[in-house]
Amino acid sequence: MTQLNLGPIFRSLLRNKTGAILIALQIAFTMAIVLNALFIIGERNDLMARSSGVDEANSFQISSTGFATGFNHLNTLEEDLREIRALPGVRNATTINSVPISGGGWSMSFQVESGENKPSTPSSIYMVDEQGIDTLGVELVAGSNFTKTDIRLRDGTQEGWPQNVIVTVALANDMFPELDYAETVGKTIFINNTEPMQIIGVIDQLQAPWIGWNKLENAMLSPEYIVGDNWNRYFIRAEEGMRDQTMRDVEELLAKRADERLVENLRSFEEIREDSYSRHSAMIQILYVVMIIMIAITGKGIVGLASFNVNRRLRQIGTRRALGASKANIVQYFMTENVVITTLGVIVGIALTIGLNMTLVSAFELGRMPWYFLPLGGLCFYLLGQVAVFGPALKASSIPPAMATRNV
Amino acid sequence: MLKMENISKVFRTDVVETHALRQFSLNVDEGDFVTVTGPSGSGKTTFLNIAGLLETYSSGTYELDGKDVSNLSDSARSRLRNEKIGFIFQSFNLIPDLNLFDNVDVPLRYRGFNSAERKKRIEEALETVGLSNRMKHLPAQLSGGQQQRVAIARALAGSPRFLLADEPTGNLDSKMAHSVMDLLHNINAQGTTIVMVTHDPGFAKQAKRNIFVRDGQVSENTLVEQDLPSAASA
Repeated sequence: MTQLNLGPIFRSLLRNKTGAILIALQIAFTMAIVLNALFIIGERNDLMARSSGVDEANSFQISSTGFATGFNHLNTLEEDLREIRALPGVRNATTINSVPISGGGWSMSFQVESGENKPSTPSSIYMVDEQGIDTLGVELVAGSNFTKTDIRLRDGTQEGWPQNVIVTVALANDMFPELDYAETVGKTIFINNTEPMQIIGVIDQLQAPWIGWNKLENAMLSPEYIVGDNWNRYFIRAEEGMRDQTMRDVEELLAKRADERLVENLRSFEEIREDSYSRHSAMIQILYVVMIIMIAITGKGIVGLASFNVNRRLRQIGTRRALGASKANIVQYFMTENVVITTLGVIVGIALTIGLNMTLVSAFELGRMPWYFLPLGGLCFYLLGQVAVFGPALKASSIPPAMATRNV
Repeated sequence: MLKMENISKVFRTDVVETHALRQFSLNVDEGDFVTVTGPSGSGKTTFLNIAGLLETYSSGTYELDGKDVSNLSDSARSRLRNEKIGFIFQSFNLIPDLNLFDNVDVPLRYRGFNSAERKKRIEEALETVGLSNRMKHLPAQLSGGQQQRVAIARALAGSPRFLLADEPTGNLDSKMAHSVMDLLHNINAQGTTIVMVTHDPGFAKQAKRNIFVRDGQVSENTLVEQDLPSAASA
């Protein structure tokens, strides 16, 4: 069996170390950047994959702003909801002040104890009617839903808050960490320091409008119609697979009274999600481009060094062939040489990767990279090296043994 | 040991056809020491390349150690080179980045010997050429004569039956050239068959037989009156 030549290759590289060290460093830097970029991409993808709690595939929003003199906001709102709900393909509809993960909304702080300077918990607030839970597609996991009589009107001068509210499991746990979320039903909490509200129900999940907020899962449903400024946002949930047709139908329905109001912002929830996470998507694309460029440059560098070494060693390769090396032996020599260089690059690369990750952890509050990134990353760079060096190695193996006796 | 009959070698380009060897026939017996002389471009190196399985030939038959090598695969030719043939080149062809030990080790690794066997053979070969105390030196740290001795050690380490030398004294001064020739005569005296291309008529006369090549053919094949140097006859 032919020997692997590791020792002679290593000693030979030590005597021609400049090119090898440059490539090893290139591998190391590329590894550090690519692995950290992959880690960031993974984290961003995890963020983007979080569920908002809403039936996203079948939901959309549309808004209406009355401008005609004498525009009756409340009548229009009730008539709109009645007609929208009656449309074929519509599962349910509600008014809502803002849409989860859309970037704009309302938040307040809530206390378990009444009084000033008491510990408080922030939460987003969605103003919906008694059809809100079904329309959003969230699940009531404890307590009860609003009734028609819970719904109050909020106009521009309205003060105070409804008496009954529904909270997410996350908000219930945040406010009453010692209780099971189901036990929070019936508890009184306070808004504006002293105004009491009673938790009458708990829903499984509903995200706040701000995707970067650390209390993203804290949300509250407040039973209200906003009627103060002639503006309404309708949130509609279509039957499975009927969303696009329903969007057209709802827009057409509301547009019937276009002489007295403006109908706009018809957007599916998927579009809202896409917009909200557009910075994340852009960053992922940029990181992918950077990764591809760096990997391509490194691969090209390995090809370049290997090609240079082949051209520099024509006589030497011919001599090896004359002394009995088969073509496979020559290919193996260059592949092994690449393994030695890559090993050096991967060792330095692991240190750089950990260092860069620690910097990112402290500077940007990223998570720690899982340990398995390092061996998997190293393995990928071994593969990259082997693929990159294979062409020049094959070229080297085609050098004839007679090269040993030629004057080159 | 070596039997060539009507070997022809034609190099072709789009416009030129060059006949490097024409109907070249030669027998070399076991234990022979044959020198090959002739003017530049006569086909000496082509003959040596074909004899050493470094090149294929266009027509004819060639048997090495009783085996027809005409249709051998590239890897079979490599194995045969490694096991049966030792090469000594005019420019030594040592690998500059490897020390003497690793240089002599090159063909042994392809042979698949284990580490202990290789070490024993390398030490013996370097001892034979008088360089056992320089194993860790690089080729550049040696004189030309010493480098050629290392190349001979490399050729001998695999115990080949057949040694091919391409002007082994061509790059050496007279004293070193004689020292290398003495070494080759000693090796031949121990039974290794040697075919050596040379331009030096003096060294050609030291062989057992000299063939003169002209225009790709053997034009003279003469037994030499033995006039061995003192070292060889000692």
